[in-house]
Amino acid sequence: MEVLSWDGTLSSRDFQVAARAFAENWKQFNPALPPWTWVPCLKQPSRLSQEQGYLSLEKICLLGSNKEHEQEDVDEEEPEPVDNATLVESAGPQVCYYDFHIAYSDSYRVPVLYFRGYYIDGQPMAWDEIEKDLPACSSKVLLESKWTFITQEEHPHLNRPWYKLHPCGTSEWMKLLFLGDESLAKNGVAVEQYLVSWLSVVGQVVGLRIPFDMLNHHKSCN
Amino acid sequence: MEAKNSGKPILQFAPFQSSVDEGFWHRLSSLKLNKFGIDDSPIPITGFYAPCSHSQVSNHLTLLAESLPSDSNEESSEPGVIRGNRNRCSVPGVLYNTNTVEGFRALDKQELIKAEAKKIWEDIQNGKALEDSSVLSRFLLISFADLKKWSFHYWFAFPALVLDPPATLLDLKPASQFFSVKEAESVSAVLNDWRDSSLTTDVPFFLVVIDPNSRATIKHLKDWETCQRATDHKLLFGFYDPCHLPKNPGWPLRNLLALICSRWDLKSVRFLCYRETRGFADLGLSLVGEAQVTVPQGWGDLHNTPNAVGWELNKGKKIPRCISLAKSMDPTRLAVSAADLNLKLMRWRALPSLKLNTLSSLKCLLLGAGTLGCQVARMLMAWGVRKITLVDNGRVAMSNPLRQSLYTLDDCLNGGEFKAVAAVNSLKKIFPAVEAEGVVMAIPMPGHPVPSQEEQSVLDDCRRLHDLIDSHDAVFLLTDTRESRWLPSLLCANTNKITITAALGFDSFLVMRHGAGPCSSSHDSKSEAANALSTDLNSLALTDRNGGHRLGCYFCNDVVAPIDSTANRTLDQQCTVTRPGLAPIASALAVELLVGILHHPDGIFAEGEIANSSNNGSSEQPLGILPHQIRGSLGQFSQMTLVGHSSDSCTACCSIVVSEYRKRGTEFILQAINHPTYLEDVTGLTELMKTAHAFQMDWDDGTDNDDDDCVEI
Repeated sequence: MEVLSWDGTLSSRDFQVAARAFAENWKQFNPALPPWTWVPCLKQPSRLSQEQGYLSLEKICLLGSNKEHEQEDVDEEEPEPVDNATLVESAGPQVCYYDFHIAYSDSYRVPVLYFRGYYIDGQPMAWDEIEKDLPACSSKVLLESKWTFITQEEHPHLNRPWYKLHPCGTSEWMKLLFLGDESLAKNGVAVEQYLVSWLSVVGQVVGLRIPFDMLNHHKSCN
Repeated sequence: MEAKNSGKPILQFAPFQSSVDEGFWHRLSSLKLNKFGIDDSPIPITGFYAPCSHSQVSNHLTLLAESLPSDSNEESSEPGVIRGNRNRCSVPGVLYNTNTVEGFRALDKQELIKAEAKKIWEDIQNGKALEDSSVLSRFLLISFADLKKWSFHYWFAFPALVLDPPATLLDLKPASQFFSVKEAESVSAVLNDWRDSSLTTDVPFFLVVIDPNSRATIKHLKDWETCQRATDHKLLFGFYDPCHLPKNPGWPLRNLLALICSRWDLKSVRFLCYRETRGFADLGLSLVGEAQVTVPQGWGDLHNTPNAVGWELNKGKKIPRCISLAKSMDPTRLAVSAADLNLKLMRWRALPSLKLNTLSSLKCLLLGAGTLGCQVARMLMAWGVRKITLVDNGRVAMSNPLRQSLYTLDDCLNGGEFKAVAAVNSLKKIFPAVEAEGVVMAIPMPGHPVPSQEEQSVLDDCRRLHDLIDSHDAVFLLTDTRESRWLPSLLCANTNKITITAALGFDSFLVMRHGAGPCSSSHDSKSEAANALSTDLNSLALTDRNGGHRLGCYFCNDVVAPIDSTANRTLDQQCTVTRPGLAPIASALAVELLVGILHHPDGIFAEGEIANSSNNGSSEQPLGILPHQIRGSLGQFSQMTLVGHSSDSCTACCSIVVSEYRKRGTEFILQAINHPTYLEDVTGLTELMKTAHAFQMDWDDGTDNDDDDCVEI
């Protein structure tokens, strides 16, 4: 596909191709990190016959954040026989968990990054708590960039509020990204490459790093 | 705790930790509401865990939405429980969910944990635990779901059969230090195979058998009889260990030891705490240990269930946990955040100077809850205004719902609900977080004399209107008669309130903002001494702070006092006689005009701008021009912007009238109400009209009388 005439978007089927290729390559170049898995979803049967789904990377844990997380403390202590065989541990560092999903937006025709943070007891983290965990440059990027905007909306498949990077600028900067890269522009838009390039931009906001190897590999393949 | 038993430390196990995904509570709420109702029988659930995969963080027993039975009413597209998932070893459990918090607290925890322990004990005795070893980690959950506050109280118990005397630890070290290099290689390989095969990956208890040639194999627990015959082989009891600690094994080992004790009567048990890194067996993180066990007395009697412990501690205390999910489950909160999101998106993409805080804290008073009032209220909410007061003394009539967008047929029944009340109810249904109030009250009108017995109530209404205007930030005049606009205009001019008027003709409309009142500075009207009228006049000004003319109010446009004007109706038609499209157009413009004022640096004092080709599309202000008046015509599908300055004979906002009100208050109002020409007299309009009329007559008569009385117009 010619870059110049391309509008920066992706069809639903291409997204799935790109997603699988991305997951494979991630495993190859990031054996140290947990893998992305494809989660298929069956929408109401009246919709498209093809399968829908999203990429999922879950339970990324972050240690030692100094967040206060208190639960309500109203009940009295319950009596139970003392048991010498139970280890009584002192409280460790606070642990937070993050889940990342990459889903497809039908209306914008681009991928969208959804994410959430939570404590181990399931208590979701509020935005101001998550912000503390973002890479330092990211808050700056969020404030100044006209391309990135974090909103909280219903997850398209899970029907619960998740944070997401709003997709309304995505097609524009994807096109710019491809135009600005000689090797890409020369060889046209390869669907397999879409997600890697996309995540290299979007990931910066939430601290997901793409190793350069992964980026360069695609370029050399083309 | 280091109580010694025959010189060796007691084997201490790290307790299982729980983790409940939000989705579990969502599904439980849904089941409660749609399926179970008040039925509080125990619910079978499934927990999931996996071997530890992080050297500093233990794994947990996790509950997800899939842990609960499916809710067929739910339009969920989540996948069902799939066996053979390496990260999800299934463990059976039971949930007791109570209907009240008292019920939750009153549950007999000793009995409940005993009942689960009994199931484990029986599974050990009848061999089920050998066939499906995950039953050894059976668990219990009690909960109370508060579906009004969207908070969930819960408490896990992981029943472990207590060995008495407790097992002691003979030895514990990392597996890499226990195995020889060759053994380690073989053990790792077979463990990885075990984990890679979907048939065995979620089987959490197993045997590791190493032959004299250092070759390892993994067997199921039930093969122990066969395996233990090969006495030259090393045999270890392996289990998926969720715990990461270097000196303690995880909780599942407890019931494994109980099984070994009860069925196979071993004196010492060699065990492998299996832990992983990045999906591969990690023999540095994994532990191999040897425990010495004594079969407790009384375990021979198989009908007697041993004691069990295992209620999860909450920060070291034996109390339940509580989680609040209101933010993600309460529909009102979700509606509020969605509304906020919309406005924030607008600010981000199109209007960075949008004052969202100003809009959300603005208090708007709408005089009239009819065709204009309903539309204005809706538009205000769309802009993020939350505090809205509607004043109307009418009831909803059968024809109203068609044109007045907050009412439905139900509001018309039984004589009709009061509009102010029905409008507030409707606003709350649209957006629950709105702070809306309805006031059922008539607005006193000049030229409509009142009988003396009603005088007091009219004065009360005047006072009430004065207070309402005082306590709000912006006032919309949306009634359908001219006279009813007079008193509000005066009161707003008196306090420099932002005032927006909308008036409809048959196929034309007027939307305008009133100029500032005649008082130019922060002049405290209440503290004045009673000065002569002239001194008062000196302290008031016709011009605004900047020295320019202040903009006019609705009545400045007309040099006629607002008497009972049933005859000359161009504007202020009754709503039923206007083209239906007018009210939505005018209402929308009225709200946009308000937003424009709020974003203009000069606010109410802003000059009136006119739309013309020179400022088209390139205005200084991000929202565009800020007109004074907009007059539109549906007959022409046209609209124009105008500027009109204040008139010093205006019956509502001129300095004479305002100062009279300040001096004499409601007494002055009453005079205006009862005497049709009082306002004209006071402002000098009467004189003006007399001379104009006289001039007219002279002209007609052609006489030369009273030439000196002529006034230059």
